[in-house]
Amino acid sequence: MMVAGLWVATKKIDYTWRWNRVPQYFVYHDETQIPAPFDGHVATLSKLGDKMRIKVISDDGEEAVFEVDSNAIEVSENDTLFEGDYLGATFEWRAGPLLVGLWNTLWISAVASIFGMIIGLVTGLCRVSNNPTLRSLSITYIELIRGTPLLVQLFIFYFFLGTVLDISRIMAGISALAIFAGAYVAEIIRAGIQSIPKGQMEAARSLGMNIPQAMIHIILPQAFKRTLPPLAGQFISLIKDSSLVSIIAITDLTKSGREVITSTFATFEIWFVVAFLYLLLTSVLSQVAAWVERRLAVSD
Amino acid sequence: MIKTVDLKKTFIGRGQTVHAVDGISAHIKPSEVVVIIGPSGSGKSTYLRCLNGLETLTSGQIIIDGVDLTAKKTDLNLVRREVGMVFQQFNLFPHKSVLQNIVLAQQVVRKRKNKEAEGKARMLLQKVGIAEKENEYPIRLSGGQQQRVAIARALAMDPKIMLFDEPTSALDPEMVGEVLEVMKQLAREGMTMVVVTHEMGFAREVADRVLFMDQGKLVEEGTPEHFFTTPQEERTKAFLRQVL
Ligand SMILES: Nc1ncnc2c1ncn2[C@@H]1O[C@H](COP(=O)(O)OP(=O)(O)OP(=O)(O)O)[C@@H](O)[C@H]1O
Ligand SMILES: [Mg+2]
Repeated sequence: MMVAGLWVATKKIDYTWRWNRVPQYFVYHDETQIPAPFDGHVATLSKLGDKMRIKVISDDGEEAVFEVDSNAIEVSENDTLFEGDYLGATFEWRAGPLLVGLWNTLWISAVASIFGMIIGLVTGLCRVSNNPTLRSLSITYIELIRGTPLLVQLFIFYFFLGTVLDISRIMAGISALAIFAGAYVAEIIRAGIQSIPKGQMEAARSLGMNIPQAMIHIILPQAFKRTLPPLAGQFISLIKDSSLVSIIAITDLTKSGREVITSTFATFEIWFVVAFLYLLLTSVLSQVAAWVERRLAVSD
Repeated sequence: MIKTVDLKKTFIGRGQTVHAVDGISAHIKPSEVVVIIGPSGSGKSTYLRCLNGLETLTSGQIIIDGVDLTAKKTDLNLVRREVGMVFQQFNLFPHKSVLQNIVLAQQVVRKRKNKEAEGKARMLLQKVGIAEKENEYPIRLSGGQQQRVAIARALAMDPKIMLFDEPTSALDPEMVGEVLEVMKQLAREGMTMVVVTHEMGFAREVADRVLFMDQGKLVEEGTPEHFFTTPQEERTKAFLRQVL
């Protein structure tokens, strides 16, 4: 249905699909041609797996050895060479911009998630602590972050903090994402901690545990189990929100997509592919979360 | 062993002040089993919770085994190791197996080696009669079994005093006996115990002394004999008429 609808729609605007152009932006076969370094001749050719080793000797008796792909060799033994003649070529698979962008999005999200988790955990603990200063500090942070758009935060991190503290654009982007996620994680953690019955803390304390010990061994493991679904949702959001870092010129998946479009004009195809790649990342994450949840369910 | 002097605990909240514990002085000797009874809301739980520092006092003094709980420099965590507590709602750790429930605090607080802690845990599970459940999670145990695990968990810290806050009130009637049996055994071994309960049979049989509380005050105290046969105070008589 949907596919048919799309087909009809694009027919109407006379769009030519060029899906065949897409794969080369994932990986491509990069050809490097190898030129002769001097005037001389080919001394020997020897086979080395699917490579060919070429030994060339210059008119002055200088020797040099090269390796090229056997099926891309352009000389034979005893050929006379002039400087710059092609001996052959080697081929290598290289990651195209879409794959590079995917990788950047992946690691940027991962690093931001880890720091976001740490920031959120600390803030969440401050939020439920008895210390009024820590509590109001954490509330201020949470309100500030949740009350302003991520895009604006990114600009502030990049233009203001980036300049003042002299941090790179990638650092600015990751910090903004981590601090943004941290505020939401903090609220999730707080709700998780408060959902654990008071008796758990009391039982732990009555056994002589201090508050940090009770938190680490009793409260947080139970809270973590309950907060796993909302935490997973938060990190899935983070992957999607990370597309905003393209606005400060970080080459993530979204920015790579835009760059590829300027050279292929395959606008529709590339955006569909980019969407699919985000979907791939987020669904893998939610599968992992579901798996962890099942593992933790043994005590239910 | 335990001495409280004019203990007061006042809750202030939503415009009303509750004098939950209103000046209780008592002296509990080593190996003594003291049962506290009284109507609902009379401050029994609050008094008990003050004894291991789960509630902070409004005024008064508590001295446990020579340590003044109210002194600023007293580390309550050190006191709590010596004072075990068993709750009405068991409060087992649901994410830990039965064995781990008993092992955890031994390792974290008493810094015992895993082997030693597990050995102790198995010995105590044997003692409370559920050795075969060590790998179960609490949710799969009956209430009576859970409460016995909770007792074993508290005993694993080698406490000098055990506090029980209505340990059988959340249990189905047929499971009350098995928990009381464990408590009787403990009393016979000479454990110092303070027990809040509505089980008059237990009070009569096991208690060395019965305290009757009402509205935060200690109304009457005495041996079970005195208490159940010749109570002096009108409020005590009224309460006993209701429960017996
Ligand atoms: N955390 C609290 N905040 C405010 N009021 C409290 C708190 N805990 C107890 N109270 C009040 O203190 C009084 C004594 O409560 P407590 O739980 O000690 O009574 P109890 O004798 O144990 O009663 P029960 O037999 O129902 O357990 C009650 O009026 C109760 O409402
Ligand atoms: Mg009570």
